[in-house]
Amino acid sequence: MTRILSFARQPLVVALVLIALLLYLGQTLSPGFASGGQVLRLLIVASLLGIVAAGQNVVILGGREGIDLSVGGVVSLSAIIAGNVMNGADSGIVPAILACLAAGAFFGLLNGLGVTLLRIPPLVMTLGMLGVLQGLLVVIRMGIPSGRAAPGLSSFVTQPLAAGIPGIIWLWIAIGVLMAFMLHRTVFGHRIYAIGSNEHAAYMAGVPVRLMRVALFMISGMFAAIAGLCLLGYSGSSFANVGEQYTLASIIAVVFGGTSLAGGKGGYTGTMAGAILLVILQSILTTVNIDESGRQMVFGATLLLLMMFYGRGRAMRA
Amino acid sequence: MSKLKLSGVSKAYGATLALRRGDLEVLAGEVHVLMGSNGSGKSTLCKIIAGSVRPDAGKILIDNRPVTITGPRSARAEGIGIFYQELSLAAHRSVEENICLAALPTRSHLFVDRALLKQRAARYIQLFEEVAGEGFSADALVGNLRPDQRQLVEIMKALASEAPILIFDEPTSALDRAQVDCFFEILRDLTWQDRGIIFISHRMDEIKAIGDRVTIIRDGETITTLNLAETDATSVIRLMVGGSGDMPASQSSAPAVVEGKDGAAMTVRNLSGRGFRNVSFEVAKGEILGFGGLHGQGQSALLRSIFGAGSISSGEVLIGDSRFDASSPRDAIRRGCAYVSGDRGRDGVISGRPIIENVTPIHYLRDRLMIARPSKLRDKVVPALQSMHTKFQSLFDPINSLSGGNQQKVIIARWLVDRPDVLLLDDPTKGIDLSAKADLFALIRQLAAEGLGILLYSSEDAELLGNANRILVFNGGSVSRELTGTDRTRYNLYQAAYEAA
Repeated sequence: MTRILSFARQPLVVALVLIALLLYLGQTLSPGFASGGQVLRLLIVASLLGIVAAGQNVVILGGREGIDLSVGGVVSLSAIIAGNVMNGADSGIVPAILACLAAGAFFGLLNGLGVTLLRIPPLVMTLGMLGVLQGLLVVIRMGIPSGRAAPGLSSFVTQPLAAGIPGIIWLWIAIGVLMAFMLHRTVFGHRIYAIGSNEHAAYMAGVPVRLMRVALFMISGMFAAIAGLCLLGYSGSSFANVGEQYTLASIIAVVFGGTSLAGGKGGYTGTMAGAILLVILQSILTTVNIDESGRQMVFGATLLLLMMFYGRGRAMRA
Repeated sequence: MSKLKLSGVSKAYGATLALRRGDLEVLAGEVHVLMGSNGSGKSTLCKIIAGSVRPDAGKILIDNRPVTITGPRSARAEGIGIFYQELSLAAHRSVEENICLAALPTRSHLFVDRALLKQRAARYIQLFEEVAGEGFSADALVGNLRPDQRQLVEIMKALASEAPILIFDEPTSALDRAQVDCFFEILRDLTWQDRGIIFISHRMDEIKAIGDRVTIIRDGETITTLNLAETDATSVIRLMVGGSGDMPASQSSAPAVVEGKDGAAMTVRNLSGRGFRNVSFEVAKGEILGFGGLHGQGQSALLRSIFGAGSISSGEVLIGDSRFDASSPRDAIRRGCAYVSGDRGRDGVISGRPIIENVTPIHYLRDRLMIARPSKLRDKVVPALQSMHTKFQSLFDPINSLSGGNQQKVIIARWLVDRPDVLLLDDPTKGIDLSAKADLFALIRQLAAEGLGILLYSSEDAELLGNANRILVFNGGSVSRELTGTDRTRYNLYQAAYEAA
């Protein structure tokens, strides 16, 4: 009995059960909600969130109050860079990918240096970076929407690529496999858990703690950049602050999936389930005509509820 | 007249008896010195008086009136003030605020009365005016002061309690000569006011200078109380050590002294840094060099600094014939240096992670691995754990599921996969059980026999006497004496540790 209970309390199991319940609820509220095509569309949206959350996940796992609030800004910036570089031409896709990755890595590097060299707490550093990015977006766009997605990118995100499933979902699956491999089968992954669990012990065992932390913020920036690129493909053109909502949502997805905000505990599989769960929740809220501000309130309340449910508050203090 | 009297006080933590039978009588108007080696029970006795530990049995009398001390607040109410060895100051507050922190003067029970606070604090600051040194003032932030100045603030804070009974637990460790003299003048003034003072120090000269009587505690029991004027350092140390103190360390338990035939494993020349100064020694391949002395005399600071985790201001370190001078633990590990700390929780255990991941970090670094294949790692990790007789179910259980002794074995095992040239042991057996200790020292001797140079600091003298070929006794950050051969006796070790350099 206790085994069943402890199994049922695992975040991944909780998330999967909730996904099934929400799909059932959605189907009851609006028939057709859980149909094949609709689920696929939900998964596309979930994969965008899931890719951002992959970066958020590694930063949080690295501990010392690691968190990246700038991901929303990087997503927006990346969507705009990609739109302007490719400007509707397939030949621009590769340069756009490179430009986005470079931008993501650059802002991640700044975050990492601020946190390690200047010892600014991640919360403050990345919040400040988010402000800078939002200002930057206003300046470079001067309020005029610009840039279009290349047709190749749009079809990669929205049209079936293989087995009736769009390319972006395949990409997300690949990232999931890659993340699992990185976290559990590479020295880098073991070191992420080590610095997240006991930074000082890791340092005494020869882990390059600062370098690791900079790398984690760069990875986060690059995942956010990839998501921004795909988001452009999904919406066709970039508009004001498209990525804004991803900051809070990516953190909720990570926590949903059972990763401790104190670091050193958790993984990406749960986060993927968390991202799907969140997107379904959002979709249901839209179905019952709750507007954007209402959805934001529900998201915020969800995060707080999760913190209570998993008892993470205590872990943060420890 | 008796100010404070404890009789038959005892305290057990689980199965370990920290204090078997504590008796102590402090008279009004005396400075009463409490002496005993590390772990003898004197700090437990102090904590009982100060109310932070509740005794299991025994009586406490203050002014011949039986009292029950239920906590620090009730101790204060009974007129007991204490100087804390581990500083208890608020770093972001001013000197005067810290002095008055225990009883802030208020107006209408709500607002701090700044004027009265200033006036009250000034009385104690003025006592040390001559010796406080540069940058010390009533409104200086405590966090900006030097260690000795912070210790003075701690003393002022204890004095400001104006308690009839005052406990000073090693109050002079950071002070210079003039500051100590000034402090002793003040203590003498207090005794004329018929206050009772309990004084703990490890410096024999200070004890002779200020103390009236001394109570000696050994193995949790009060041995005797003596008049300091009628005794000398030698007899005091003999009483602390007990009967077998003159016996040389048993030769069977220590390997024969290596005559440096294989050359030096590590050479340290005139090394100075934070917490230690001008230390020189050479440890031969196959030798176990012990660091002795009282706790916190620079042994740990030195070992950590050699490993690249401290600060070195001058001097040099060589491994074999080449300059070592590690800039970080990472650098030290790569070049064949290993470090095991007794503070597992802080320096060793990667909590919540599997046993296998607690063994592999050093292997990752030294073999420059990128991919971690469990099957390959298992072949390296299991023999290392087995050589320590580590008890575990699965390599993938979290390390926290093991006992303290087994956790420490896992931490040591991480250094056995790729053998280092020099092993630094910083009180490695702290808080682990006897059988784990035995396993650990068997391994350490085996490693020495295989040609490693080993530096061993231990707060337990028996471990040093039983295992080290030579012992360097540390006092105030430098080596005050070297014990070799038959000089390695408990008595000599104590004497060197307690006699001021």
